Amino acid sequence: MIKAVNSWDWEIGNKTSFWSHTLKELWAFRHLLAGLVRRHFLLNYQQTVLGPLWILFQPTLTLATYLLVFHKLVGISTGSVPPVLFYLAGIILWNFFNDSFTGTSSTFKEHAHVFSKVYFPRIIMPVSVISTQLLRFAIQFIMLLCAMVFYSFTRGFSFPVNSWLLTIPFIVLNVGAFSLGLGLIFSVLTAKYRDMTNLANLGVRLLMFLTPVIYPLATIPENVRWLVQLNPLTPMFELFRLAMLGEGTIALPSILYSLGFTFLLLTGAWLLFNKQGDKLIDIV
Amino acid sequence: MPDTVIKVEQLSKVYRLGTIGTGSFKQDLQRWWNTAFLKKEDPFFQLQPGNTAAGNKDFFLALHDVSFEVNQGEAIGIIGRNGSGKSTLLKIISRIVRPTQGRVLGKGKVSSLLEVGTGFNLELTGRENIYISGYILGMSKAEVRSKFDEIVAFSGVEKFIDTPVKRYSSGMYVRLAFAVAAHLEPDILIVDEVLAVGDADFQKKCLGKMREVSQASGRTILFVSHNMQAIKNLCDKALWLNQGKMQVFGGVSEVVNKYLSSTQQSKFKQQWEVPEEAPGNDKIRVKSIELIPQLENPEAALDIRTPLQVKFQFWNLQDDVLISASILLFNLGGECIFDLPSPATRGQKGLLEGECTIPGNFLNDGAYYISLHFLKDTSVPLFDFEECLTFELEDYRGDIQWYGKWWGAVRPKFPFQLKQTNTCLQDQLQVDLI
Repeated sequence: MIKAVNSWDWEIGNKTSFWSHTLKELWAFRHLLAGLVRRHFLLNYQQTVLGPLWILFQPTLTLATYLLVFHKLVGISTGSVPPVLFYLAGIILWNFFNDSFTGTSSTFKEHAHVFSKVYFPRIIMPVSVISTQLLRFAIQFIMLLCAMVFYSFTRGFSFPVNSWLLTIPFIVLNVGAFSLGLGLIFSVLTAKYRDMTNLANLGVRLLMFLTPVIYPLATIPENVRWLVQLNPLTPMFELFRLAMLGEGTIALPSILYSLGFTFLLLTGAWLLFNKQGDKLIDIV
Repeated sequence: MPDTVIKVEQLSKVYRLGTIGTGSFKQDLQRWWNTAFLKKEDPFFQLQPGNTAAGNKDFFLALHDVSFEVNQGEAIGIIGRNGSGKSTLLKIISRIVRPTQGRVLGKGKVSSLLEVGTGFNLELTGRENIYISGYILGMSKAEVRSKFDEIVAFSGVEKFIDTPVKRYSSGMYVRLAFAVAAHLEPDILIVDEVLAVGDADFQKKCLGKMREVSQASGRTILFVSHNMQAIKNLCDKALWLNQGKMQVFGGVSEVVNKYLSSTQQSKFKQQWEVPEEAPGNDKIRVKSIELIPQLENPEAALDIRTPLQVKFQFWNLQDDVLISASILLFNLGGECIFDLPSPATRGQKGLLEGECTIPGNFLNDGAYYISLHFLKDTSVPLFDFEECLTFELEDYRGDIQWYGKWWGAVRPKFPFQLKQTNTCLQDQLQVDLI
């Protein structure tokens, strides 16, 4: 968007570009990013009794529900991993994806008012959502570690120490990038066609059943397993459990598929977002 | 040669009208198909007058072929009626919306203030909001921190700075929000009608701050307002937009005067050739009534300094009556400002003429109408000619640095003196205080 034209610092024309912002411009807005992350946290826990404890409470309550429904009632096997750890690992990674996606997909709809009054690189908004979710994930991750330590002392759960642990940052980044990519695309679509909001909400709920959150991939019969493996999130969840809990079904091609898919999705989404972002202000 | 910092070239903006939702997907596909494969011209981008965009009911031409240049340190006022494209222009220069055609070139950092309190969140405290709103407007953390105390002092909400702004009064909210924006230090400041909020005292403070920004520190300002006094006081040049087109661009007083005289919806003269068609009855028929402002420059708008001459002629259809006429001046609210009777005159059948001058520096600014009443024997109504003239007086403040609405039905300039009579009071005061 900013181009040096002879002696001019900037030019505003009718063409929108794919590479809207220079890194320098984005860097100039780092304080806004930090401020927005801070605001997300403050707003979430304003006037609540438990405050930030909700970050831990929410997965705990979900865990209790899953334990009751899927473990006790339905009786899905979690292999040799204690069900609590199995579900908790799935829940926190899924929450990270789910909250990042729903948060970013409503970017234009939610911030139309601000966007129509002041200029800043629009991408800051969704990135601030992802950053917030990343911080929440980090806190919940520590909770998972505590649970693992507890289990290794009381229930004889063997703490896996292996080289897979090194993949965890990449798993988290990949899941974050995937949700950002999907979120950016849907933020453009929901701004233009409101039907997409419903589709996004429904889709993400259904997607959870195609992701090994409540079941290990190994329990899925071979003939329908491809359906679950088509989901680029699947290898990440399996890899996450393998690294953390020592059990998971992975194969190199599926991991490469997941990485490649995310890369293409995020690149495409980023370009679409930049290209469409300025035009959308007219119609949201 | 002054440095040009903003160059606007043939800027146009088209908006699509109607509901965008059902059918828009189909339209999008059609457009895409037409432009990408059939290589037809996109109807959305044809802007020639009378062509699809201008004539089509689905499109609205918000800006049409606007070009101008702004030099470093200039303050430009943008004026025009509601819907004339002022805000669209500011939004394009602020990079919020894209033009449909044309481009804007510029130098330096731009900050825009199109609304008071952009990015404010009701749940957060004043302190948090100062920071987040500062960041959104483009300040860095260090900048906000260094100006924090100044911002708080300017807004006058020290006591409530750690209270969520949802518990603020609306005045406090506006003051805090403007205070943040007032401490921006961009090269180019873009301000939309934000001064319409807040009390008069605060408006004065804001304008003072803006003058400081433009004159003391040499920044460039684009300023939209309906307050012509503020525009005249603050700006060097003005741009008048009319239905998206640039009407005049030039020196501020010239443009403002032209704009004002065009907006005055006035009835200055009415006349009839024959008594049969003229308003009246079997006793009185009005031939003509005219308002003649005593202006040195006929182009200029009427303001409160302008003396107004009222002239009228009427046919008297009765012989030998004691006749008098009254000029009644009403403000737009229908309140009578004065009822001024003429001396009674013994009149015969035929034409009579009256004349009266309302002095300048007497009426307050606003819209007025005049009614003419005719009386017999100074008490019996003959004919009432209601609302025969209407006019509007613009404000004029001269050196007075106050832009709020001036109170009062009239604003006379009676002789008024204030002088020092004694300088030795100092000692007495001190004695009293001890």
